[in-house]
Amino acid sequence: MIDMFIHNFKYAFKTLFRNKPLIFWTYAFPLIMATLFNLAFSDIENKEKLDIINIAIVDNEEFQQNIVFNKAYESLSDEKNEDRLFETKYVTRKEAKKLLNDGEIDGYLELKDGKPVITVVNNGINQTVIKYVAEEVAQAIFNQEEVKIKDISSSNLSYTMIEFYTLIAMTCLYGGILGTYAINMNLANMSSKGKRVSVAPVPKIKVILSSVCASYLVQIIGLMLLFAYTGFVIKVDYGSNLLMIIVLALVGSLAGLTLGVAVSSVFKTSQDSKTGIIIAITMLGCFLSGMMGITLKYYIDKSVPIINKLNPASMITDGYYSLYYYETLDRFKMNIVSLLVFSVIMITISVVSIKRQKYETV
Amino acid sequence: MNIFKTVLKILNKNKFIVILYSVILISFGGINMSSNETVDNFVATKPDIYIINNDVNKGITKNLIKYLSDNCNIVKLKDNEEAINDALFYRDANYIIYIPQGFREDFLSGKVDEIEIKSSGDYQSSFAGMILERYIKVAASFQGISDNEDDIIKGINETLSKKAKVNVVSKLDTSGMNRATVYYNFASYSILACLVYIICLILSSFKKPEIQRRTTISSSNYKSINRKLLASNSMLSVILWAVYVIVSFILIGSTMSSKHGAIYILNLLVFTICATTIAFFIGNLVNNKEAISGIVNVIALGSSFLCGAFVPMEYLPEGVLKAAHVLPSYYFIKSNEIVKTMEAVDSDALKPVFENMGILLIFSLLFVVLTNVVSRKKACS
Repeated sequence: MIDMFIHNFKYAFKTLFRNKPLIFWTYAFPLIMATLFNLAFSDIENKEKLDIINIAIVDNEEFQQNIVFNKAYESLSDEKNEDRLFETKYVTRKEAKKLLNDGEIDGYLELKDGKPVITVVNNGINQTVIKYVAEEVAQAIFNQEEVKIKDISSSNLSYTMIEFYTLIAMTCLYGGILGTYAINMNLANMSSKGKRVSVAPVPKIKVILSSVCASYLVQIIGLMLLFAYTGFVIKVDYGSNLLMIIVLALVGSLAGLTLGVAVSSVFKTSQDSKTGIIIAITMLGCFLSGMMGITLKYYIDKSVPIINKLNPASMITDGYYSLYYYETLDRFKMNIVSLLVFSVIMITISVVSIKRQKYETV
Repeated sequence: MNIFKTVLKILNKNKFIVILYSVILISFGGINMSSNETVDNFVATKPDIYIINNDVNKGITKNLIKYLSDNCNIVKLKDNEEAINDALFYRDANYIIYIPQGFREDFLSGKVDEIEIKSSGDYQSSFAGMILERYIKVAASFQGISDNEDDIIKGINETLSKKAKVNVVSKLDTSGMNRATVYYNFASYSILACLVYIICLILSSFKKPEIQRRTTISSSNYKSINRKLLASNSMLSVILWAVYVIVSFILIGSTMSSKHGAIYILNLLVFTICATTIAFFIGNLVNNKEAISGIVNVIALGSSFLCGAFVPMEYLPEGVLKAAHVLPSYYFIKSNEIVKTMEAVDSDALKPVFENMGILLIFSLLFVVLTNVVSRKKACS
């Protein structure tokens, strides 16, 4: 009897692997997305750091005579100064206006009756810093004593990682498409092969189980490829707990697979529609867990947490997030348990639904 | 006319996909709807911070919190460490300040305690750091000047209250322009994805072997058939363009009626023409219906990511932007970015925009020629 299981497993595996559109969506598409994410997001966090701000100072008589301003801006624009803030040009007012209009500087400073006057084109952080520093100089704060501030934040603060975690979630759930194929192979009303399987003197559960196992294996291989690519080539940081990373991948894929099996057994439509349903559920889930803008996940977690507690994509994403950002495993364990509960519910739905299927005519 | 009717039939069958991409566009275009103001006076940017006060809320500590509240936004969070850590990671708060127990007492006895902070590391957090340091520096310089805490606080506040005057010279409606740019940049994705998908479907229906054979032996040659197909597909493109323009008026409002708005609209039209020819070319190249959705996603997502339709151009790495020069979407989005910061609409300022439109038209021409080459080769074989 075990022979039958292995036999069917082998052929289900081969059939799935030779289905080109299927392999494109579950293998190639996540890799392509990972590449695009990497190209588009790799520089965002660097560009959000406070950069040297380009400013101009109107070099009038008053400024030249004001030693306080003179020295302060000289030191703030000094290339050797570690806390350098500005790249300063000393020009006439007319030149400063031109520089500002051409977008070469963010603002210029002019001293009028001992008071600094700043001119800018629009509101913004650089403009605010220019104003704030001019005030500081005017307030004549020259306390050289080092202020004691201790940074205790985690070093793992790269939020673009979430994008890659949603991609893992997407791949796990796309495994559901494989699940629908595996079930459809064995449903009498879906394919001629299904008719043959249904009348064969083999327990239905055995054929279905072996097909499902085959699709799980196909899915895991795809996921391994994605991990290898994102981890080694793109250098996505999954945290340091390798065992837990693998556990989450396995449990996440299981959730995806059981979702596919459930969709396949409950909805009595064509393969294309089933694939469509899985893609729709996956994309909605990934959208809610931050694929199209990571703040969405945060706001849902914060204001309507129930949505993401039911969303398998969010459980997977949040699981990797907690491995990356948190030192304890409490939150991670919660996500694993949720995914397992989700899978069990999906399996129950499928079993109930498949058991009832008997055909008088097909 | 027959060709046009068939095209409409196929479109009707697949209206779902057009609706899907349009809904995505509208929901993304609608996200940035919140504020609409012209810049007349300067509004300082305030970093988002959160304060955990372990000290008494009195005297110097209270004054520190007041100064921080005046210069920063204090975000509302659940008072537990996990909520605070999440907020920092997702940049809801850029800077977390832990005021230590006994801060006030130690300060009055001549000592400044070390303050623990958490920082997201971006420019907002750097600025929040500057604000905190400023207060501590000023406060420290008043330490020991008087025994009376109120006098010290008064001195600190007086020093800190000296303000610089700021002139804002631009009269540009920045927020309206920003929203228009986000919307139109995103529209490039919707238009490209929609058109490639639909046109590929239409063409593949015409490419079924039996239909293909019938048209090949008919009296009309491949060029005339291609022309008719292109014409009916162009109709679809123009309708799609018109719908997206109308939606932009509803979502963005007054900015669209300005001269700037007219350029956005014209620019989108030129891009739509180019997208039509791209779709036509791909449709001629690909015969497999199953492959269409894969191709649409790779092409539309790829060029939208690389050219800045999703992530603004200023955040893209330079290498990516250089490589993006080979993609039509780049010139469309570049023009939108130019219009966004255009103070005066005159021929000088518009020159680069028209150059980009010219490049898009050259791209279109190229794709038309390529399409004819491909279909002639296919017809011959």
